[in-house]
Amino acid sequence: MIRLLVWLVMMLGLLWLAPAALAQAPEQRHISTRFIAETDSPAAGSIVSLAIHMTPEPGWHGYWKNPGDSGMETTVKWTLPRGATAGPLEYPVPERLIVGGLMNYVYEGPYALLLKLKVPEGLAQGTSLPIRGKFDYLVCTREVCVPESADLALDLSVGAPGAPPARRAEFDVFRQALPKPLGSQARFQWSEGGFRLAIPLPASMAGEEPYFFPLTDGALDYAAEQKVSRSGDSLIVETQAGGQQPTSVEGVLRLRDGYGLLLTAQPGVISAGAGGSTGQGTSAILVALLGAVIGGLLLNIMPCVFPILSLKALSLARAGGDEASARKEALAYTAGAVLICLSLGAAVLALRAGGTSAGWAFQLQDPRVMLLLLLSVTAIALNLAGLFELPSVGIGSRLASTGGATGAFWTGVLAAFVATPCTGPFMAAALGAALLLPVPAALAVFAGLGLGLALPFLVLGFVPAARRRLPKPGPWMNRLRHVLSLPMFLTALGLAWVLGRQSGVDGMAIGLAAALALGLTLWWIGRRSGDGRGLLRLAPAAAAVAAGLLFVPLSNQGQATASTVAGEPFSEARLAALRAERRPVFAYFTADWCITCKVNEKGVLQREEVSRAFAKDNVAVLVGDWTGGDAAISRFLEAQGRSGVPLYIYYAPGKAPEILPQLLTVSRVVSLNSRGGST
Amino acid sequence: MRRINMKSKSFAFVAAGLTAVSAISLTLGSGGPASAAAPQVGRPAPNFKANDADGRVVTLSDFKGKTVVLEWNNPECPFVKKHYDTGNMQKTQAAALADGAVWLSINSSAPGKQGHMSGAEAKKVIADQKARPTAYLLDPKGVVGNGYNAKTTPHIYIINKAGALVYAGGIDDKPTKDKDDIKSARNHVLAALGELKAGKAVSVPTTRPYGCAVKYKDS
Repeated sequence: MIRLLVWLVMMLGLLWLAPAALAQAPEQRHISTRFIAETDSPAAGSIVSLAIHMTPEPGWHGYWKNPGDSGMETTVKWTLPRGATAGPLEYPVPERLIVGGLMNYVYEGPYALLLKLKVPEGLAQGTSLPIRGKFDYLVCTREVCVPESADLALDLSVGAPGAPPARRAEFDVFRQALPKPLGSQARFQWSEGGFRLAIPLPASMAGEEPYFFPLTDGALDYAAEQKVSRSGDSLIVETQAGGQQPTSVEGVLRLRDGYGLLLTAQPGVISAGAGGSTGQGTSAILVALLGAVIGGLLLNIMPCVFPILSLKALSLARAGGDEASARKEALAYTAGAVLICLSLGAAVLALRAGGTSAGWAFQLQDPRVMLLLLLSVTAIALNLAGLFELPSVGIGSRLASTGGATGAFWTGVLAAFVATPCTGPFMAAALGAALLLPVPAALAVFAGLGLGLALPFLVLGFVPAARRRLPKPGPWMNRLRHVLSLPMFLTALGLAWVLGRQSGVDGMAIGLAAALALGLTLWWIGRRSGDGRGLLRLAPAAAAVAAGLLFVPLSNQGQATASTVAGEPFSEARLAALRAERRPVFAYFTADWCITCKVNEKGVLQREEVSRAFAKDNVAVLVGDWTGGDAAISRFLEAQGRSGVPLYIYYAPGKAPEILPQLLTVSRVVSLNSRGGST
Repeated sequence: MRRINMKSKSFAFVAAGLTAVSAISLTLGSGGPASAAAPQVGRPAPNFKANDADGRVVTLSDFKGKTVVLEWNNPECPFVKKHYDTGNMQKTQAAALADGAVWLSINSSAPGKQGHMSGAEAKKVIADQKARPTAYLLDPKGVVGNGYNAKTTPHIYIINKAGALVYAGGIDDKPTKDKDDIKSARNHVLAALGELKAGKAVSVPTTRPYGCAVKYKDS
């Protein structure tokens, strides 16, 4: 009897509990959501950040935008005040979770989805802004999945700009977790055999256990292992291809926990694990190539090259009407010029591959290279001035018809090498572009530079008419030659000055002494020209060069800072303070993974002219380093309408800020100050 | 104070760099790992063998000359429920059968995982749902599922009379849990079957499936 009673009570209890349990079920969510705004009173016309902060129960996980092999995308259906618009959800860098061989892109801990709300213009203060959304998302354990819904509700009212510090700090943490846009374009190659992705990324940013989270569905097999390697300046991700050939691939490259780069890849050819590629848009390459050829052509009229060219032209004219040898010489000269440009290009690319983004003029940073240039320019100048003749190297020599091609080749080599001091200032843009191109294309640009340099000579060689326009040989040639030595001496003077800046007075003195020793040797050779063993007599000259190279100080401790732009860390407060002082401010934003930034810094911002111009006008330089995704900088970039770096802004006192193009040139930066009218 | 400075580059460095450039072209990696032969739309569908709820062996080749629909199923998955609770899946099955097609529901849930069933349990579920598959196949080892690269429940494959795979993907184009979305969604299966019946090519041969992960055994 008692047993029956107990049983009855239990049954009643169950009956009572059951409906309660049923009613509870839909309410009981496995992710708790909190919907907040960075400020509850945003200004009319402003953009306010909203966050959906998600906290999964232990053992449960929420999903990234691309959930992986299964699942569904999180969605929100917004009901917004008239005129207000909500941007797309922005997702933090996710984690991987493989269950039963299927890939899940998830968040196992708390995370926040961000979005930007545009507040309508022209609303009166205090106007209420009800924000409502139907939020659908999937939450799973390793065993079960539950699609859940939440009703998002937030009541904002129109107020003033700014945000409460506590809320701002919370949002800064959220922003920090978002992937940063890479800026440069990646390339991918899809075939049934496999999927390859080449991401331009300096080696210093290699990260620990990099992984590519694809946003584009079907391009690659999510669960397949990803093989990551480095090739040149790129990170290569190789994995199995998905079933659909994509037209472009978007995704996030995770570099370490909670840190990743958002990128887009265009189709291209990527050799397995190697850097070579020709996938870049061919038109872009052609434009860069054309620019390089024109640039090379312009180099001919630079004072350091022109004398060489004139002399070669003269010697051609002297050679008379021998078509075949003229062509042969023109080709040899071209080969020399192209070869030296190519090898310089290869050296630059090798440095780039080493993770150092170097500019074209990088070799000029080394005093020893500078000294070598000084000595060769001095030698050329002395040669032009008639101090000596050097039959083995075809400059200014009587052009023996047999040695002509060899001589011309070496002249081409010399012209290209000597031209480098002149290229930096006005070739920076084209060369910067070359540094961003894939290796073969970049080499093509360098070759184009050499071709451009050799072009006038090619024309002379192949178009007899052009040659006939050349004046007849005569004594005037020697006079012209002597006159032409003048720009060469000027170049030498300039080089000596640069050497002095690099390695101080001692370095310059050593350089000049070496030049003097070289001059004496050359004079001695010149006196005895005509008898054999010319090469043996070069020994003292070689010794002078070697001694100079050995003894020239590699850096100038006293003045090392003179050629660099000194900056201080960026903060909005510092910017405001400097502007209040009416000081001109140059603010730039950079990151270690941003190749464009590095090219601009090395090729433009670190140049002498720039630091001099900045010093002259007392321009303050603020540097924002976004490598770690600093939230204050993220906010500032956002306010400038930028999603990433590089960003260059010039603030002239009392004027609107000027945003500079992403590819800087020295002339542009130097002219800022003059146009800024800061005095 | 932040300062940008440039280190001196020595000739040795440049020379090393030049060597590096030539070395780059020599370091070649091999291709990706061997690809699991996932079935491809437009290619012959791989044959398979599995037990149905009654323990009978069912082979794909048994249905040569007929259109076959494969539906990955896990009755406990909310996305599967979305289509069974509304009768959408049953309606689709009925339409397929009316066209003379074969409908195979396949359950690849491993023992101990969500949706794993014995034959008897499966028969009860089919009866309760008034589902009408030609056969309900039990694939607890995930052999068929892995062979077809089935990822979600539901995940649909359609094989034409010539034995070629002509559709792989979701049941419809509204990847939500909302039952109301079914009305406005494009039912990819009905659309493909209609096109096949009319002798046309399937206009949307691949879509992204949505739903729960197939509960394969842990590897």
